[in-house]
Amino acid sequence: MSTRDITIVGFIIVIAAMFTLEFLARRPGSRIPTVGQWLGYLMRPRIGRVLVLLGWWWLGWHYFAR
Amino acid sequence: MATNDIPGGDDRVGRRSGFSLWPAHRRNRVRTAVIGVVLVGYAWAAGATEPFSTISLVFVLIPGVILAAIAVAWPPQRIPPPEKLDTTGMFYWVIAVAALFEWEASAWKDDSLPWHPSLTDLINPLLGPHIVKSAAILLWIMVGWALVRR
Repeated sequence: MSTRDITIVGFIIVIAAMFTLEFLARRPGSRIPTVGQWLGYLMRPRIGRVLVLLGWWWLGWHYFAR
Repeated sequence: MATNDIPGGDDRVGRRSGFSLWPAHRRNRVRTAVIGVVLVGYAWAAGATEPFSTISLVFVLIPGVILAAIAVAWPPQRIPPPEKLDTTGMFYWVIAVAALFEWEASAWKDDSLPWHPSLTDLINPLLGPHIVKSAAILLWIMVGWALVRR
């Protein structure tokens, strides 16, 4: 297994972990917040809202305009 | 002759009895369908643009400006955020996000594309086919709308 493969597997593991967390968070009575919940929490102050929306726009620019 | 009780003209049954002849849920469905078609068309057009071009930048700017304007001027009904988050539960997310950033940052820091590609290096080739890029743009716009509602 090359180092490139290890890198790719690392990304897959982390992203799969995030999907697993989201799945676990959606179970009734779960203490883990969903992505929507913790993003909503971060977006309560105006600055958090601006930064999260800027991050969203940056992702679009980074992947679709570059 | 007493004809005042005969419905006619604007005085239709639907208006008099308090229910609409064009129910709200049907109106909403039509509106949603129209917006969906427009968004799919937009994503398809945006997916056809050349990277690093002005037009591709404009296609990314427009949703950002529109969603920012909606968020500021016509904010939709927002989904109430939680009052507080469970510390332990949130910690799992912090670990996962930190791991992703660390893995990404190490690729960026070492500029080591051949042996440690960044997430961007891996995703960009996947976005090559027009339909995949358009689907990703559509998903991106929908995520933006979901964030505006938060």
